Amino acid sequence: MILNKLKTFAIYISLFAAVGCTEDFESINTNPYGTTDALLEQDFNNIKSLFTPMFNNVLVLDPAWRYQVQQGLQGDVWSGYMSTPTPFRGGTNNTTYDLVDGWNGFAWGAGYGDVMANALKIEQRAKGKYNQFYALSLILKVEAMHRITDTYGPCVYSKFGTTDPVIEYDSQAEVYAKMFEELDLAVADLTTRVNANEASTFTGTDISSYNGDYAKWVKFANSLRLRLAMHIVKIDPTLAKTQAEKAMNHPLGVITTNADLFKVISPTFTNPIAIISGAWEDIRMSSDMESIMGGYNDPRLAVFFDTSVQFPGEYKGVRTGIEIAAKSDHSNFSPIGAIVRSKEIVWMTAAEVYFLRAEGALRGWNMGGTAKVLYETGVTKSFEQLAVAGTGSYIADNVKTAKAYVDPNFPVNNSPALNNVTVAWDEAATNEVKLQKIITQKWIAGFPEGQEAWTEYRRTGYPKLMPVLKNTSGGLINSNLGVRRVNFVQSEKDGNPGGVATGVTKLGGADNGGTRLWWDTTGPNF
Amino acid sequence: MKQIILIFMIVFTSQVSLAQVGTVKGNVSDAEGLPLPMTNIIVKGETAGTTTDIDGNFSIQVEKGKTLIFSYVGFETQEVVLGNESTINVQLKETSSNTLSEVVVTSLGIKKTRKSLTYSAQEIKGVDLTGVKDANVINTIAGKIAGVAVTKSAGGTGGSTKVVIRGNSSITNNQPLYVIDGVPLLNISSGQPNLTFGDINGGNRDGGDAVGLLNPDDYEGMTVLKGASAAALYGSQGANGVILLTSKKSKEGVSKLVATSTTTFESAAFLPKFQNEYVAVAGGDETWGAKEDSNDHVKDFFKTGNTNITSLSFSTGTEKASTNLSYANTSSSGIIEGNDLNKNNFGIRQSGKFFNNKLNVSVNANYVSQSINNRPVSAYYFNPLTGVYLMPRGNDFDYYASNFEIFDPARNMMVQNWMTNRDIMQNPYWAINRNASVDKNQFFTGIFALDYKVNNWLSLVSRYNYNRIESSFDKKLYASTQGTLSHINGRYINVNWLSTQSYGDFLANINSNINENLSLTANIGASFVKSLGNNATILDSGISSGLVYANWFALGNFVNNAGNYQRLGLQKEVQSVFAAATLGYKNYLYLDITGRNDWSSTLVNTDKLSFFYPSVGVTGLISEMTKMPDWINYGKVRASYAQVGNDISSFVTSPTSTIVGGQIIPPIVGPRPGESLKPELKSEYEIGTEWRMFNNKLGFEISYYNSETKNQYIQVPAPATNPYGYLNYGFNAASIKNKGVEIVLTGKIIKNDKFNWDTTINYSQNKNTVSKIPAELGGRVILTDPGVNNYRYSLIEGEAFGQIEGVNIKRDAQGRVMLNADGTIQKTGFEVVGNANPNYMLGFRNAFNYGSFFANVLIDTRVGGEVMSLTEATNDEFGVSKVTGDARNAGGVVLDAVYPDGTAYAGKYPAESYYKQTGGRAGATGEYVYDATNVSLRELSIGYTLDSKKLPFFQSASLSLIARNLFFIYKNAPFDPNISLSTGEGLQGVDVYGMPSTKSIGLNLNITF
Repeated sequence: MILNKLKTFAIYISLFAAVGCTEDFESINTNPYGTTDALLEQDFNNIKSLFTPMFNNVLVLDPAWRYQVQQGLQGDVWSGYMSTPTPFRGGTNNTTYDLVDGWNGFAWGAGYGDVMANALKIEQRAKGKYNQFYALSLILKVEAMHRITDTYGPCVYSKFGTTDPVIEYDSQAEVYAKMFEELDLAVADLTTRVNANEASTFTGTDISSYNGDYAKWVKFANSLRLRLAMHIVKIDPTLAKTQAEKAMNHPLGVITTNADLFKVISPTFTNPIAIISGAWEDIRMSSDMESIMGGYNDPRLAVFFDTSVQFPGEYKGVRTGIEIAAKSDHSNFSPIGAIVRSKEIVWMTAAEVYFLRAEGALRGWNMGGTAKVLYETGVTKSFEQLAVAGTGSYIADNVKTAKAYVDPNFPVNNSPALNNVTVAWDEAATNEVKLQKIITQKWIAGFPEGQEAWTEYRRTGYPKLMPVLKNTSGGLINSNLGVRRVNFVQSEKDGNPGGVATGVTKLGGADNGGTRLWWDTTGPNF
Repeated sequence: MKQIILIFMIVFTSQVSLAQVGTVKGNVSDAEGLPLPMTNIIVKGETAGTTTDIDGNFSIQVEKGKTLIFSYVGFETQEVVLGNESTINVQLKETSSNTLSEVVVTSLGIKKTRKSLTYSAQEIKGVDLTGVKDANVINTIAGKIAGVAVTKSAGGTGGSTKVVIRGNSSITNNQPLYVIDGVPLLNISSGQPNLTFGDINGGNRDGGDAVGLLNPDDYEGMTVLKGASAAALYGSQGANGVILLTSKKSKEGVSKLVATSTTTFESAAFLPKFQNEYVAVAGGDETWGAKEDSNDHVKDFFKTGNTNITSLSFSTGTEKASTNLSYANTSSSGIIEGNDLNKNNFGIRQSGKFFNNKLNVSVNANYVSQSINNRPVSAYYFNPLTGVYLMPRGNDFDYYASNFEIFDPARNMMVQNWMTNRDIMQNPYWAINRNASVDKNQFFTGIFALDYKVNNWLSLVSRYNYNRIESSFDKKLYASTQGTLSHINGRYINVNWLSTQSYGDFLANINSNINENLSLTANIGASFVKSLGNNATILDSGISSGLVYANWFALGNFVNNAGNYQRLGLQKEVQSVFAAATLGYKNYLYLDITGRNDWSSTLVNTDKLSFFYPSVGVTGLISEMTKMPDWINYGKVRASYAQVGNDISSFVTSPTSTIVGGQIIPPIVGPRPGESLKPELKSEYEIGTEWRMFNNKLGFEISYYNSETKNQYIQVPAPATNPYGYLNYGFNAASIKNKGVEIVLTGKIIKNDKFNWDTTINYSQNKNTVSKIPAELGGRVILTDPGVNNYRYSLIEGEAFGQIEGVNIKRDAQGRVMLNADGTIQKTGFEVVGNANPNYMLGFRNAFNYGSFFANVLIDTRVGGEVMSLTEATNDEFGVSKVTGDARNAGGVVLDAVYPDGTAYAGKYPAESYYKQTGGRAGATGEYVYDATNVSLRELSIGYTLDSKKLPFFQSASLSLIARNLFFIYKNAPFDPNISLSTGEGLQGVDVYGMPSTKSIGLNLNITF
């Protein structure tokens, strides 16, 4: 009898279970504040929304600390632009060549998580259907990823997006070849649209100063091609020349006016360097800047830096890689100036393009002008861009050179002037001297974008930078040569160790900051 | 005064229902008031009779003047002559043994006799929960249950507590399931820290939890179901054990009002040791300057805290209805200025009987409201302690205390006044007064239950429960707060969380004797639980965006929307059917089988939506099966096996992008490509034996368990190269094995008319091993990422759960410190330097009664494990610790060191250079690891019970002196190792400027009217 009753209950219970319904489990398990791809297809937002994180993370705009560990304590310092008064990690860190994995993974994370992942999605959603978006994404991708390969060397590029258990790294030569190819694709597509007078569908999504203007994007892509070409001039001069002339020969050409320079105009974020230098007091003018710009009495100083609190009226720089007892030792030296207190963040200046052309001309390439004219136009464009007067006398100055650096608080950090070139072009000088002038002026004009300046320092050796006095790299990085690259990142070693192994092989040297990249040969500049 | 008025109001309005002739009803209990089920009741001289139910209640038709005989094995038979009363409550005196009758509350609130249990279940009775009261009732478990590790949070009063039963068995969640009166509690925390640096968004705060908000006086006891078998009926939620709380219920015909008042005083114990002989160089923010005396300002910074807990509970019961009402107020001021807490608990429980007493309807509702000002935070950000400890010596602390802000004519406002602009050390009084925060929690739980007794072998139970927790955090940072933490115009952070849970079940309970020898109890049921966790609205004006106008803390003053967003922690539904059966043979052999099938919404888009969790157990009472010597009262052996689960997190299998300030954020986690997720599966077997002897004066229980939890949910940073843009991959991989022994020893050492001495020893040891960590993770799962600091908390292949990793000074084979050519000290990479979990734990409780005096002493011992102190490391780096002063006095650090070329280091190593290299959060943290072994006097109470006959209108009253954490009998670490910065899974075994542990002493007054 009891068994019968049990059976009845079993039936009752199973009825209960049957009434229970699992159909809405999918919606229960979906975050109500998240979004679906279907929702985003409206207004093509599934494509357009992907551009915003790309714009915001080539140079991380927010939070400021992410910029600080993406580039602020890497390229910005190793380029000789800026220096930190703060003894991070007990005074042993990137600035003393003890490369901090906990910081140095962020550049990689932004490059892949924020840029490559979105570029891939754009490719999947737009390629073949809305090719203009695909083309634009490729330009942004190359802009972001050449910084990654120039930081780490081999990296995941052509194999990105595969589900292979091991995601193989491309050699840097392969990455460059692929980037040139992608620029070809982008330029070809957008040029067709420009020629057809097609109205832009990128307006509104584009937060750069181009506001969706395809022609300007083509000029930027060509200028980027010129920059990349110059990076590889020592390792593959033939390809460099071909690519550089290809950029110049394109009907729309390269950036020639300050109206066409590339800048992001963020609706939300101020340049994070303003916070890092201002409220945090974590970054200051470098001793190299003081030596070179101070030596030239460069009128752009007032735009780049504020005068020192401790030494009123003076621009005081801090040397990188020194013993720091207390932050207050140097925190009252010159902060970064008005140039960063802005929501406009410049990625590529018109001046840079002229200096690239000047170097090309110096190398005998067809750059649409002589090295002298292009060099002087570069300087002029920089003054014009920063709304600074006095170009004429500055260009003509054949007297002033860099000055010695004095640390009034700690004389142990003093340094004689290392650079002896003047501003004025000297047609009779050697190519090496001419190159030093070009790169030095490009270095000044590019401020505060330290990544490219660090690359060009590594490639050319200019301007000569004061060596660190405190080297805690454990013998891995030479104080006179500086940091040549950043070792592969922890998240990759954890999540893609097989891939990292292919990267180390293709790097052809130890995975540390002293190993030279592919284009960074020990050979002469000429 | 208000409380006294309230007491009188309640006393004079209470009613006791008067007798009715007819059926006689009542309750049979033991001397301690615990119900005695299945008591035989017969009318003297007749054959008519009945037995009590599982709650000890009975009902019998009988004429006036007859005599009822109550008999129960192990108790003295009692006769009661009936007068006019309709209700009789009988207390039976135990004879030699009461062991056979004990009733234990088990899963789903099902009551079972202890003898029939096939697994370990240990109880704490009401008085042990409230004798030495803590504002968080869970803190009072420490040392009282074998196999349960209780770690208090460093969040001070109002903080949560980490409870781990039988060792950590999961990477993602080790907290037990809390169940109140049979229904699960949504014990969710609005946040636990996991950053060694501190959370830039308001500091490393402990968001508290729901169980910590309860009023300890509302509960008559707690049962801890330790193993998988005991928790098997909870299926996918049962993997970490279950703590069952049973609320107090009134007894028929008894009205009483209980008032208790507890006042304790807390003081900081175990402060770091500081030097007062050296000062900082002028303008320096570290203390490495000249020799010059300074004041010890740290001691004076801490004040004496005070906690008052007042509670009133009223209960009354009639034949048809019962009522319990309770109110409690907790008000507390912390040991740091500006920190205080206020909590109000309201409780009501009402039940009534209908349809010829067949249907019992009850409603139980509790509401708690708690507000905390300046809840203490740990680590370096927003923490006043860093400023107190690290202030460069030579500065006048008192000056900065009374002038924490000064007028800035340039801004026409008061601004922070401090000697350094360093993010990790603001002026502590600025941090307290101008970075003030308010944490609020409101908790409601309501249960509606129906219990219908169909006939003498079947009853149907259905319950519905709703939990609602609202939490908020509000922090206002005034302009001139350090720039890493705040915008130049200040910063406003306001976060609101909502969590809810509905639970419903239906249960058929069958209790039947199939024949003379065979008995069957069976439970069949179904349930659903629908939860929403931490649905948060976050408003944050941020650091870079900021406020338009300084110090105007309102959403409308935000420069933009970049830091405002909504976030949902969890949302899920689990539907279940379950059944349990216990087959008894001759009351000495029991077979227990359970099964539960769960359908969980978190498993959509996986291969399998439902999982089955079985258990089987057997127990035999040897003392009943065979004739044992007279001195053995009870002997039992048991064995059981079960599989239970640990559900996966919400949303993981349905990844979506989210949006903050117009920026789309890729999915935080998604399934690893090519894999299907499933819940963690714990399989455990357990064997045990229980004995009582010498007239129950000595008893012991030994359990051995062995468990393996497979399919651990692992979340790893996805390579940034993954095509989905997932930040992390989730997948099932590793396995954690736990095995251990628990011994509970009870003794009535002295028992006579005048003096009683009872003792209990709870011993447990646990050994665990982590295995099967996928090779691509390099054999390591990181629970706390080191960030830029040298503390990492990891699970490492083949090693015990919870390894602490740090950086060591490099030494050669002879143990000499290896120097670089420039004389600097060489350091290793991350190495294991300790483990956060104890090897064994011992709780030693003693209760003494002498006449009207009573005393209770609890000594809590934890042996093994290590802790790291980044506090000490940073104090050393900054030159403020006593060690650094001593080293400077000694002319440097004695160091047996050697250069790379083999030459020995000559002389003493300069103290400043040494501590700057080895100290600090990013230094040789292996030097700051301490043995966590400690023996503490956890609880002490000495009291006096007033003679009830001499009292005017009280039924009983007692007064006691109580103390918690009075002192350590043994301790190696420079701080209290029983405190943790987080009650989550990370940040274990490390101190980073956590609030110092407190010792508390006070008075407890308990009056029953």
